[in-house]
Amino acid sequence: MNTDRRRNNAPNGGTSAPVFARTIRDSEYLEKLRPSRSRGPNELRRIFLQTSIIPSASGSAYLEIPSSSSATSSTLIPPTSCLKITASIQGPKPLPRSAPFSPSLLLTTTVKFAPFATRSRRGYIRDSAERDLGVHLETALRGVIIGERWPKSGVEVVVTILEGDEDGWWGDSASEGSAAGSGWGLLNVLAGCITVASAAITDAGIDCVDMVCGGVAAITRNPESRHEKELVRILDPCPAEHKEVVAACVVGYLASRDEITEIWMKGDVGADPDALIEGATHAAMGSLAVVKEVLLEALEAKFHGQTEGNDAGLKRKAHDVEMTGGA
Amino acid sequence: MATTAPQPPPALTFPRPIFAAVSPHPFLQAHLSAAKNKSLRANGRTAREFRVPGINTGSLTYCNGSAVVRLGNTSVVCGVRAEILKDEDIPGTYEYPGQTAGEDSDDEDEGSEMEGLRLLVPNVELSTGSTPSHIPGNAPTTYAQTLITRIRSLLHSTRLLHASDLRILYRSSTNPEDPDTEAETQLKGYWVLYLDVFFVSIDGNAFDASWIAILAALRDTLLPRAYFDEEYEGILCSDDPKEAQRLSLRGLPISSTFAVFEGRKEDDEGEADWVLSDPDAFEEGVCRETVSIVVDCEGGKKGTKDLVVRRVEKSGGGVVGRETMGGLVKRSIDRWGEVSKVLEGKA
Repeated sequence: MNTDRRRNNAPNGGTSAPVFARTIRDSEYLEKLRPSRSRGPNELRRIFLQTSIIPSASGSAYLEIPSSSSATSSTLIPPTSCLKITASIQGPKPLPRSAPFSPSLLLTTTVKFAPFATRSRRGYIRDSAERDLGVHLETALRGVIIGERWPKSGVEVVVTILEGDEDGWWGDSASEGSAAGSGWGLLNVLAGCITVASAAITDAGIDCVDMVCGGVAAITRNPESRHEKELVRILDPCPAEHKEVVAACVVGYLASRDEITEIWMKGDVGADPDALIEGATHAAMGSLAVVKEVLLEALEAKFHGQTEGNDAGLKRKAHDVEMTGGA
Repeated sequence: MATTAPQPPPALTFPRPIFAAVSPHPFLQAHLSAAKNKSLRANGRTAREFRVPGINTGSLTYCNGSAVVRLGNTSVVCGVRAEILKDEDIPGTYEYPGQTAGEDSDDEDEGSEMEGLRLLVPNVELSTGSTPSHIPGNAPTTYAQTLITRIRSLLHSTRLLHASDLRILYRSSTNPEDPDTEAETQLKGYWVLYLDVFFVSIDGNAFDASWIAILAALRDTLLPRAYFDEEYEGILCSDDPKEAQRLSLRGLPISSTFAVFEGRKEDDEGEADWVLSDPDAFEEGVCRETVSIVVDCEGGKKGTKDLVVRRVEKSGGGVVGRETMGGLVKRSIDRWGEVSKVLEGKA
């Protein structure tokens, strides 16, 4: 670990995460804790979205996708996490005088995991996975924003992940190491980032050609089937709930124009990648329904407040929408 | 609300936000001096009014303790994460004084144990888009570094945590040297607490908000029972919540921050300086002098009558004298009652 003189550092010798006795002694007990998917293959998780959470930013949003498997209170081992992401838009504001002329809006995206966002603690300095996510998010958003309307200006999109999806079930990664390192969780995180950043951009009132939304689909090996090889396509996978994910795909999808601004596919897709991409767009349409409803409600609340002469603050309304897949 | 600047004609009339942006100081003064006996600030609070905190604990999955605190438009997430420092990794030649140091005695040694070994690692992140002045991609600003230094020194100087809570001890079942006597207790490691404070949104008074968040998260923290396993030759933990232990905190120090607004004197009437409780971002921008007072009333049985002043920080000007400071301590005591009620979940 490199020392960072501007922050408080851990003891020099380094610390290790606690090891729970029953995880190394009692594998049957461990197997009991394994989460499993209780949703249908085309059913998405519930989405909680809220806009205008940061008054000093021009636009902001908070997204939460709670974990579908219920938390057990009988153990201290953290259960599968949910996704919690905030996005904040600073700008558009004029570029500094020293910057070269730019005919369109300069978009800067920053994605950062909080140190407590994942099962193993993360550092404060951005690592390669975070920078990678930032680039992917930028591609997804760049295709949507009408940048020509803001020459010589820049906008900052700052996304903070307070809690991220896991790459696999923690019990697997400890014993076999099969699911770890494959980065399935990152796809879910990216889809969440795209959706929440898009909601924040709309909240900031930056002109866009359409709403972009993220969606994930995956191909998993079905454990119950008699044929070991049978594959199932699912929408909005939670990687911890599956023993083996074969392939996964995330898209940034513009529903009304039927366009894709960002696509990231991983794994052994097989002969027909189109089915997987289509699944991901269906998932994106599901989250679009929620985003639209939340934004509409925020707008209504704003105008309602103005007509009553009570413009002291936006009425913030939490909203929770139950969804079924768009398929 | 007075929206016209008190200037000779031509009288200018602005909408509120523009007046506030163009000339913030007269804007706030116009607000404060609008009513003779009851001065209201631009945000609708009186000068002595704090924002009521909203506290939510235990919302983060991967933390031993966590809290989300809202103070008006300032919102903070704090996660406490415990990891193990093994005895072979302890730097230097630190000697565990043994059981004789006492579990209950408040000896001075504990401080050096916690501070010297860096068992508490607090950090603050402001550049999450929470405010336009902290854009990510840069190193922590001096403001962020000052904030975290103040928090760390307050953590250590109030001696909030017991070092005995963080020690992982081991007593062998048999004594290899002398089978008749009991084996000596050995120190096998420490719990290290990472306190990460993430600002979601900042609207002034970042210090109070992060301190309340840290307090709430520490009160929520559940440390699993850790023991040295002979077979495994390492430290293992039990995942049974019944065996886990809460941290015991020494007292309940709560900080209150005030900003001094120095009005410009036009004529000889009325007061020209106001001490504003719990300033928001706009007020912090126009005030130079700030006072932070940390009080703790939990020591005695008499509630808020029995107080200890744990820390006084004042900088930036010379308005607050001895009498004013006395008044501010009283205001901090009232604030202590308010915040502790919310922390206990009574309000």
